[in-house]
Amino acid sequence: MKKIPTLLASLLLAAGLASTDSAASAERTTPIHFGAIGWESGALTTEILRLIVERGYGYPTDTLPGSTVSMEVALARNDLQVIAEEWAGRSPAWVKAEQAGQVFALGDTVKHAEEGWWVPAYVIEGDPSRNLKALAPDLRSVDDLKRYPQVFRDPESPAKGRFLNSPSGWTSETVNSQKLKAYGLNDSYSNFRSGSGAALDAEIGSAIRRGQPVLFYYWNPTPLMGRYKLIRLQEPPFNAQAWATLTDASNPNPQGSQSLPAKLSIGVSKAFHEGYPDLVAVFEKVDLPIDRLNRALAEMSEKRTPPNKAALTFLRDNPDVWKAWLPAEVAAKVEGSL
Amino acid sequence: MSGGFPEALQFSFAERVNQLVDWLVLNYGDHLRSVSDQLLQLLVSLENLLRLLPWWALLLLVGLLAWHASRSVLRSVAMVTLLALIGVLGLWDKLLQTLALVLVSTGLCVLVGVPLGILLASRPLARRLLMPVLDVMQTLPAFVYLIPVLMLFGLGKVPAVFATLIYALPPLVRLTDLGLRQIDPSLLQAAHGLGASRWQRLQRIALPLALPSIMAGLNQSVMMALSMVVVASMIGARGLGEDVLAGIQTLNVGQGVEAGLAIVALAMVIDRISQAYGQVKR
Repeated sequence: MKKIPTLLASLLLAAGLASTDSAASAERTTPIHFGAIGWESGALTTEILRLIVERGYGYPTDTLPGSTVSMEVALARNDLQVIAEEWAGRSPAWVKAEQAGQVFALGDTVKHAEEGWWVPAYVIEGDPSRNLKALAPDLRSVDDLKRYPQVFRDPESPAKGRFLNSPSGWTSETVNSQKLKAYGLNDSYSNFRSGSGAALDAEIGSAIRRGQPVLFYYWNPTPLMGRYKLIRLQEPPFNAQAWATLTDASNPNPQGSQSLPAKLSIGVSKAFHEGYPDLVAVFEKVDLPIDRLNRALAEMSEKRTPPNKAALTFLRDNPDVWKAWLPAEVAAKVEGSL
Repeated sequence: MSGGFPEALQFSFAERVNQLVDWLVLNYGDHLRSVSDQLLQLLVSLENLLRLLPWWALLLLVGLLAWHASRSVLRSVAMVTLLALIGVLGLWDKLLQTLALVLVSTGLCVLVGVPLGILLASRPLARRLLMPVLDVMQTLPAFVYLIPVLMLFGLGKVPAVFATLIYALPPLVRLTDLGLRQIDPSLLQAAHGLGASRWQRLQRIALPLALPSIMAGLNQSVMMALSMVVVASMIGARGLGEDVLAGIQTLNVGQGVEAGLAIVALAMVIDRISQAYGQVKR
C-alpha cells in the first residue's frame, strides 16, 4: 500500500520534469509556420522554401491552411510566420499590416510575373491536328476583340461575348472591369465574374479540352501557362496615370494600360523578421526564373505530383538557381540531403 | 504521411476519377453544354420576368401573398418592409437574381423530392437504398462535385442549380416520407374498404394529411437553398452571395454583413409565407 503514493509522486515528478524540459526546448522546436497556399505556384514555392529551411538550417516547419486574406491577417498576428508567395501591395489587409510594421515583404521572387487577357492559340491559329478552325485569325490586341464577340458567345446573353473575369473581391476584378470600359468593350462583352479561382481554372480547362474559344483573365506563374499554348492579347504600354484610373472602380473614364508588372515577394511576420535574420537574408535573395517555374508547375499539375515531391525534383534539377541564394556551407548541406 | 496503416493495403482511386472526368468532358462536354443552355434559358427568362416587374409591384405581390397565407395585415406589412429594406440597401437586382435561382431550384426540388418521398414511404427497400444516398448528398462537401459539374455544364447558374438541388433535396424527401408514414393506417384501410383506388387514397387522404410535414420539408429546402447562395456565387452565379464573397475576400466586413442580412431577410420572407400556407391547409 505504501508503494502507491511513492509511485504517484514519482510519476508526478517525471511529468513535471518532462514539462519543464519541453518548455525549455520549445524555443528551438516551435516550428516555423508557413501559410499553406492553395494555388500551385504558391504551394510549390512554399515547399521549396521549407526544404531549404529544414535541410539547410535544421529549423522544423509546418503549414497551416487558410484563404489569402485570412493568411494575411494571421501573418500580421504572427500566427503564421511565412507566406511564400505574397502579391504584396494588392490586398487592403496586406497594405494595412505593412504600414503598421506587422509584416514585411522580402525579395522579388519571380521576375517578369505578368497578368493580362489571354486566348488559347488555336482560336487565332487553328489546330489542324484537332480539326479546329481559326475562329479569330486577326485577333492580336484587345481592340480587335470588338470584331469577335460572337466567337466568345455568352450563353446567358447570346448577343454578347463573354469575358471571364477574376472572382469579385480580387483586386484584378476591378482592374478588368475598368479595362472593359477603357477598351470600349462594355456593350459587346459581358463581364463574367468567375466566383473563385478553382471555377475559373475549371472553365478554362474544360474549354481548352473541348477546343472551344474562350477569352479570360489570367496571370503568371501558373501551370496553365506552362501547359497550354496561350496567346496574350496586346494592350497599350504601361502608364502610371492610366493605371490609377483602372484601379479606381468609381472612375467613369478609365484609360487603357497594361497592368502594373506584378511583384511577388515572400511575406514574413515581424517576429520572424527579428528572430531569424539568417533566413531573412536568404529570402531576400530568392529568385525563381519564370520559364523554369512555369514548366515545373505544368509538370506538377499534369502528373498531379504533390507539391513537396515537385519541390524536391525542382531542387534536384535546378541547383544553379537555389545555390545562388545560400551561403556555400548551407548549400552543401541542402545538396547532400537531396 | 500514411500513419500506421500498412502501405500494401492502401489504394487510391483518385487517378481513375480524374480520367473519368477528363473523358466525360472530352466526349460529352459539348452535348451537356447544350442541355445546360436550355435550363439556362429558363433561368434567364424567369430573371428577366422578375426584372420587368416594377419594384412596387413585386412588393405588392409579396404583401398579397403573405396576407393570403396568414390573413394577418401586420405580418404582410412586416414582410413587405423586410423586402423593401433589401432594396434600400441597393441590392434589389441581386435580390432578383438570387430569387430566380432559389425559385427554380426549389421548383425542381418539389418535382423530384415529393415523388421520391412517396416512393420511400411506400417501398421499404427503396428507403433502405436511398437513405445512404441522402446522407451523402447532405454531407459531401459541395466543391467535390461542383468542379466536375462545372466542367461539364459550364460556369454560372446551371451548376449552381444542380448544387443547390443536391444539397436542398434531402430534407424534403425525408419529411415527405415521415409525414406519410405517420398517418394512421386505419384511415387508409377504411378508404380501401370504401373502394378508393391507390391513387385516390394518396391524393385525397395521405397527401393532405401529410401536408404540414411536407410543407415543413419544403421550408427546410428553401432555407438550405438560400444558404447555398454563397457557395453558388463561388462558381460564378451572380446574386446576393457574390457580395458576401467579395466582402469576405476584401475584408469589407460591412458589405458582407449587408448582403448576408439581405439573404436572411429573403429567407424570413419565404419562410413565413410558406409556413403559413402549411398551417392554413391543416
